[in-house]
Amino acid sequence: MSPLATKIKTALEAEAQQFHDVVDDHMDVPWPEFLRAWGELREIDILKRDDEGAYFVEAS
Amino acid sequence: MADIGFRSFLDDLDKAGELKRITKPVDCRQLSALGEQSDQATMFENIEGYPDWRVATALVSTRKRLGIAMGCTENRIAFEFEEKSSKPIDPVLVDSAPCQEVVMEGDDVDLTTIPLPLMHLFDGGAYISGTFAVSKDPEHGSNVGCYRLMYRTPKETGIDLVSPSDMRFYYQRALDKGEPLPIAIAVGVHPLDMLAASYKAPIDTNELALAGGLRGEALEMVKCKTLDLEVPADAELVLEGELLPIGWTADEGPFGEFSQISGDVKWNPIFRIKCITHRKNPIFYMLQMPWENDWLAAPVTEAAGLQALRVASVQPVDIRAPVGGCGYWALIASIKKRPGEGKNAVAALLSVAEVKYVVVTDEDIDIHDPDELDWAIAFRVQADEDAVILKGARAKHIDPSVKSWELGKGGLPTTAKLGIDATIPEGVPPILYRRIKNYGRDRIKLEDFE
Repeated sequence: MSPLATKIKTALEAEAQQFHDVVDDHMDVPWPEFLRAWGELREIDILKRDDEGAYFVEAS
Repeated sequence: MADIGFRSFLDDLDKAGELKRITKPVDCRQLSALGEQSDQATMFENIEGYPDWRVATALVSTRKRLGIAMGCTENRIAFEFEEKSSKPIDPVLVDSAPCQEVVMEGDDVDLTTIPLPLMHLFDGGAYISGTFAVSKDPEHGSNVGCYRLMYRTPKETGIDLVSPSDMRFYYQRALDKGEPLPIAIAVGVHPLDMLAASYKAPIDTNELALAGGLRGEALEMVKCKTLDLEVPADAELVLEGELLPIGWTADEGPFGEFSQISGDVKWNPIFRIKCITHRKNPIFYMLQMPWENDWLAAPVTEAAGLQALRVASVQPVDIRAPVGGCGYWALIASIKKRPGEGKNAVAALLSVAEVKYVVVTDEDIDIHDPDELDWAIAFRVQADEDAVILKGARAKHIDPSVKSWELGKGGLPTTAKLGIDATIPEGVPPILYRRIKNYGRDRIKLEDFE
């Protein structure tokens, strides 16, 4: 897993966040790079949704 | 090549002074907010991280610009759509196409090479909002529709397939056999093609021929590189792939809906992409929600309303799908009424797809003037006789009042519909509706006394 994907995963283990919150925290990252990291988390199927649509990762 | 295409429409907007060009660098996370603030359609010429791409948006987010696409004035759009759609022209197949100038297959498929925008605050991801989606069923043939796609991975998107549609029906048939459904998604086609794709036609209707009728020339199609499907040759971008046979199990959304509501998380299939083709120096089309979607919907709903009235042998005078109903949920019509036809017209219009609220009035009422309409409802309606409620009709999930969260995954909601017959009631002398007119108003002029 890339360092960026690991960082996002750690943040979503700590608390559920709306997608825009995750984006806001990574505005310094080029958009294609952000999307690739997001795709890494999707590929391993760890992204869950709460009732308000926020993303979270169940802590392992 | 055909005379009408996505780029010729951009030229038409430019000539009409309806296209703003932004040359400063813009990030994909800024596109939607900028496009929403412009009172013109917008072309972003310089996309950070995507040097080969441009992005166009809000092309038909006003009825005026839709009129430019249709080649008529704003108030003629529904009638123009009805007339042209009655003269379909079959598509033609061409051997080579601009949409296949660049081809990415297999491991080269990578959606992150396309400037996918983050559009709205509560969206579940980056989205492709304006699509011309082609699918095929062994029995019913090709079908075209418009479906949003949410980025998941470089090779996968979610796709909103919760509402009843022909492609949903095709997908269900494939799913029942445990098979994927091949589909192709074209992005960046002429608004007339989008109108045809969004038309709620009987399942065996050829939307491609409808697009030809609207264009007045055959739509040129080209074979996909990896699928037994055809796509518009002049599209900017094409995604070829399949809907996985997983049913309605993957999270998708929220997305800023055409109902002006952010919506909620939906459970939907996944679209796996096997091949991406596009033009050299392509233009990504970002359909701006909600207005661009609503104005594309309005003439389709209006034309369906006209058709329903004519089938019911009611003579329409004017019709509109108002902005408040987002082009889908409401229809207002005036008719040349014979006894009983107010109710017939209400029943006919309530039968149109997702239309949930209908007002029918007489030909003397200007239905584009809300004050006129209020006057007709105030003085021509007895609620216990002229309000019609139809229960248990088909609905869309994005209407919160249908409580779709109470349904299981893949479930379909129903709704109650309201119709108001605001025509002059039978038995009431028309003389009682004579409007105030000042004595001598036609010949006595104020300027002669100033």
